[in-house]
Amino acid sequence: MSRTWRSRRRRLGLVALELMLAAFVLLPFFWMLSVSLKPADEPFSIPARLWPKAPTLDNFSSAFRPEFRTYFVNSLIVSSATVVISVGLGLASAYAFTRAKLALISALMGLVALAQMFPHSAIIIPIYKMMRGAGLLDTYLALIIAYVSVTLPVAIWILHGFLAKLPYSLLEAASLDNAGPFRTFWHIVVPLSRPGLLATAVYVLIVTWQEFLFALSFTSTKEMRTLPVGLNDFIGQYGIRYGELMASSILVSAPVIAAFFLLQRHFVAGLTAGAVKG
Amino acid sequence: MTSRRLRWLLFVFLAPTVLLLGTFLYYPMVGTVIESFYKSSFINPNPTFAGFEQYRKILGSRDFREVLVNSVAWTVGVVALQNLLGFGSALLLNAKVPGRGLMRALVMLPWVLPGVVAAILWRFMYDPQLGLINSFLIRLGVLDEGTAWLADTSTAMPAVVFAAVWKGFPFCTLIYLAALQNIDREQLEAAMLDGARAFGRLVHVVIPGLREIIAVNVVLTTILTFNYFDMVWVLTRGGPKNATHIFPTRIFELGFGQFRFGEASTYGVFSILVLALLVTLYVLLRSSRQRS
Repeated sequence: MSRTWRSRRRRLGLVALELMLAAFVLLPFFWMLSVSLKPADEPFSIPARLWPKAPTLDNFSSAFRPEFRTYFVNSLIVSSATVVISVGLGLASAYAFTRAKLALISALMGLVALAQMFPHSAIIIPIYKMMRGAGLLDTYLALIIAYVSVTLPVAIWILHGFLAKLPYSLLEAASLDNAGPFRTFWHIVVPLSRPGLLATAVYVLIVTWQEFLFALSFTSTKEMRTLPVGLNDFIGQYGIRYGELMASSILVSAPVIAAFFLLQRHFVAGLTAGAVKG
Repeated sequence: MTSRRLRWLLFVFLAPTVLLLGTFLYYPMVGTVIESFYKSSFINPNPTFAGFEQYRKILGSRDFREVLVNSVAWTVGVVALQNLLGFGSALLLNAKVPGRGLMRALVMLPWVLPGVVAAILWRFMYDPQLGLINSFLIRLGVLDEGTAWLADTSTAMPAVVFAAVWKGFPFCTLIYLAALQNIDREQLEAAMLDGARAFGRLVHVVIPGLREIIAVNVVLTTILTFNYFDMVWVLTRGGPKNATHIFPTRIFELGFGQFRFGEASTYGVFSILVLALLVTLYVLLRSSRQRS
């Protein structure tokens, strides 16, 4: 009797805690959605109305204006280039780290791991000067180079954790027949690494899509701004047009949130393999 | 036996990485140290050698003390709360609660949200006229009218910390949840047979079992938080009156707001020193974890 009572009370307590956690996580999102659906002529009141009287999508169509489209395209170009290069180089390097038998390798691996923790604000000035010297300020290339450099260490780390879990005999056996090492890599290692590659791609996309500091420092014209910087510029311009600002924020977040949910399973497995067990 | 062709391939695979990381991560570390000995400004853009002049100037300044104190408050606050909340939510989502799978996915949302979006959202949450937080507090009768949380020197830092905790705690949830799933079932069941209640199991089995992962994760989140720029910059730009200026925002403001690259780099060197300490701690903890 008392045992079932206790377990029922415990269960109720857990559900209550779960609801509190859900409220803490989701209320800001709910508020963002609510404000983005509020018609421009419906006044804000305090205390606030939780849901607009006549929800409308007007804010979304006005948020999708020409500058926003430019920023979106810029982000898309920079992020997709970074994802492809960083994941590609990441797998190549992770493979080299797994296969090479050199004393130097573990030292190199340590340097890669260390580089994950570098403070971007403390290294940005020399990078800025290099980019300025090479005439690369306000170009996609400057951002792509910077983003590949800062995401590559993590990409290598995740993929190395992933490759280390593959049965080694599979890699060995494939290299025994007469296929050259590159064909072995291409036809055996790359297909086997697919889940790891997807996890890494999502990670690199999340990091790159939101990167703010480099984009803010290396671009100065509207034509080259990426979404996070463009959004930050909007704050002043919008004045009190919060509906449009929230609609823009949702449009900026949608692609990464979608990518995360589609590939969530791979992502969580890949990240924790690298971070927890690595 | 590594064949010559394989060795050649591995060399080609590694070379671009070594080149990139060397040029754009390691060289700039050295570059910042060199830069910190040179003085330049917007009016006087040609750097002149200054020796330790900027170090003396900064070490004796009130700005530096404020940035240091703020950085400590910010980092300790965010790391402590993120880890507590992350651990608590991981325990909860490890228990058999209804809708667990969905909650495990939803809880990640703030972490996936771009930093600038999260910051803009919280600017809005804190808004004295339109914000949800003030609305709640007024409805509850705690406040009579909206407070400008981000504009008051005494509330700005807690407000910024709270927003950063919301944004970043899911990472801790993810790590701790994965760790909890790896915990020794047998030990847990043995403790249960001994009649240990939930709290006893937590204190005597779960926490000791995860001691090392907790230590590693605390140091890792400390490093990430100490370096985090977006939230503070978008919420307050270091204000009001320096109340939320931390190393990254101060460096950015000096470097790209005032073009005082030398002074910005001196701040950069101090932040590198703090991080070097943390990274050493991290490496020591990690290697002791791998040995055990």
